[in-house]
Amino acid sequence: MSVLLVAALCGLGYRLVDLQVWRHKELGEAARNNTERTFIREPRRGDIRDVRGTQLATSIFVKTVIADPTIIGTNITVRLAVARTLAPLLEKSAADLFKDLTPVPKFNAYGVLKTNAYALLKSRVTFEKWEEIKTAMRHADLGVDETTLTNKLLKAYYRGVHTAAISTARADDQLRIYPNAALAAHVLGYVGVEEKESPIGAYRSTTGRDGIELVLNQPLTGVQGWLTTETDKRKNELAWAREQNVPSMPGRNVCLTLDAGVQLIVESELAEAWKEHTPISVSCIVVRPKTGEVLAMATLPNFNPNNVGATPVDARRNRMIADTAEPGSTFKIVVISGGLNEKLVTLRDPIDCEHGKFIFHGKPLKDHEAYGILSVEDVVAKSSNIGSAKVGIRLGEQRLYDYIRNFGFGARTGLPLPGEVNGILHPVKKWDGLAISRIPMGHAMTCTPMQMVMAMCAVANNGVLMRPMLIDRLEDDRGQVVTKYSPQPAHRVVSEETAKTLVVALKKVVSKDGTAELAQMKNYTVAGKTGTATKVEHGQYVNKYFSSFIGFFPADDPELCISVVFDEPKHGYYGGKTAAPVFKRIAERSAAYLKIKPDRGPDVSPLAGDQKPFTTAKKD
Amino acid sequence: MSKNRRKESAAVRFGPVLKVCLLCAFIGGAGVGYVWQKNQIYQLGNQMTQCERQLAELKRQNNLKANQLAQMQSPGVLELQVRKHKLGLDRPLPGQIVRLPEPPATAPEPRVDGAHQIVRNDPVRFD
Repeated sequence: MSVLLVAALCGLGYRLVDLQVWRHKELGEAARNNTERTFIREPRRGDIRDVRGTQLATSIFVKTVIADPTIIGTNITVRLAVARTLAPLLEKSAADLFKDLTPVPKFNAYGVLKTNAYALLKSRVTFEKWEEIKTAMRHADLGVDETTLTNKLLKAYYRGVHTAAISTARADDQLRIYPNAALAAHVLGYVGVEEKESPIGAYRSTTGRDGIELVLNQPLTGVQGWLTTETDKRKNELAWAREQNVPSMPGRNVCLTLDAGVQLIVESELAEAWKEHTPISVSCIVVRPKTGEVLAMATLPNFNPNNVGATPVDARRNRMIADTAEPGSTFKIVVISGGLNEKLVTLRDPIDCEHGKFIFHGKPLKDHEAYGILSVEDVVAKSSNIGSAKVGIRLGEQRLYDYIRNFGFGARTGLPLPGEVNGILHPVKKWDGLAISRIPMGHAMTCTPMQMVMAMCAVANNGVLMRPMLIDRLEDDRGQVVTKYSPQPAHRVVSEETAKTLVVALKKVVSKDGTAELAQMKNYTVAGKTGTATKVEHGQYVNKYFSSFIGFFPADDPELCISVVFDEPKHGYYGGKTAAPVFKRIAERSAAYLKIKPDRGPDVSPLAGDQKPFTTAKKD
Repeated sequence: MSKNRRKESAAVRFGPVLKVCLLCAFIGGAGVGYVWQKNQIYQLGNQMTQCERQLAELKRQNNLKANQLAQMQSPGVLELQVRKHKLGLDRPLPGQIVRLPEPPATAPEPRVDGAHQIVRNDPVRFD
């Protein structure tokens, strides 16, 4: 008897040592896994706002609804009942849900046959919808009268189906919302979802795919937190058993230099222009020349970032920085300012425009009209190709190239958006003999609309080229400014005197003697330049055009510089006929919106107006 | 000897009894206190979780309302409302704006007339 007792005690002792010592690590981990839970605390993605704080993109937390098919089991009636209950709420067919809820035995990574305990039913479900789902599941009719059940196991099974079979993923997902739909879509970009690995398993995370969402993905995302705790049988957290509780740090709010009001004006006017001219695309950029702040940037066709998949890839391209084309006559500002800056010409100097046909290196260069002798001012105003080519020839290849580079061509402007290209500007050694006569009129090189508008801004800003600015500040989740960006001058491209002289010529462009009379504004002096560039297809010039107008106002103290570019307008193709009127409408509405002080017309005097100081702008 | 033993047996030993009672009370009290404390921790934990849930829900609601407000204030929606309700509101045209000249920024010249004298003779206040 005593021997037996000793043997039993030895056996128990051996078991004790086995469990508590030898297998301590393994069993301890298994015990912890049974009770301990780690929850990822996803930081809220920061908002994108305009300079006035108008929301352009925001995020809300949503749930990912999952099912545990092992709880539902193989009971077809119950599975069908659950599928029918959930189908209208998840907006999926009952047949699909039935399939998702079916337990599928599979070999796991360790070669053990296991039934899937995780089935994704629907992602991005709002909290309100999840409450509805929970209520519906609690009251779901599972095909039996559960009050009459006496078997405890059966009771527990049905209770499990009601309360635990359908749940949500441990980490909340986020839904990105763009409240203004397509407004500034090419600047904002869009987000996508990517699967990320963590110690608790895979989870879905929102990440930027294009535009500001991509470039500033890191500050927008924030820093993840986590919670390590224990849960009871009903998956309720036991707060006293918390081990680690690290809150997440929400992403920064990005405030752009864009003004949603100006952006809306631009997009509505572009939509009107689109109806009128049915081009391949039409783009507009509005910049403050003194600071380089981009107030609006839009291109049509555009897309709705709330539903990116619904639009073709082509419409998502930001053509203002990603497309390059020969700029045409707008580029003449570079060669003329070079000539003026080097004191090779003055505005009054006469230039023989050869009655519209100039033979250079055996090839003819033509003007759209047969001009004789024109002053340099008129060369700009009437946009003479021959006149500007002759200024270019006087300037010489190397100096012309240097001015082009100084104005920012052949290099990215540095706008914080993905996909910006350099444009094509060959070095002087690669120029053929004709290049010196073609480049001054904006041929034989390419640039983006953004580069062109920044060059015009340099002229408007007394000869100082600014870096384009798109981000005004970063704020924390309480609205406190964390980082403030200030305007950055790149360098001086021409002297102040030269810039002012060129403005005189550019003002004449927007007169009855110039090519852009239609850009004239009632209350502001406008300076600008038209451009009509022939398109190149398969290495040949074809009868298709890029029409553009870039102007700024008030001409002597510019507040806004606006560029309008059409790609193949169908009704008329001269920049002065197509783009200039669009410029005028955008400029007038923007000036009223931004309350820019007029510099001409009857309203210049301090107490001007109709002497009804407090009349509202109500129209009858 | 016997006298002494009688004396001892008859004596009521309050000291040890008291000690034992106190010890029992202490152990019992500590046990009850421990259970009570654990219960309090559990209840406070539950309250804390509940409060955290409430806070998260309120934050979420707040965020939703802020989003709604931002959406209603966005220029596009405002323009749509103006059109929908035919309010006829528009931005003022330059001709409808009256601009008042700013007063000169330079300080006025000191006056040497009577008014200047009056100012000089004012009593100085240090409060």
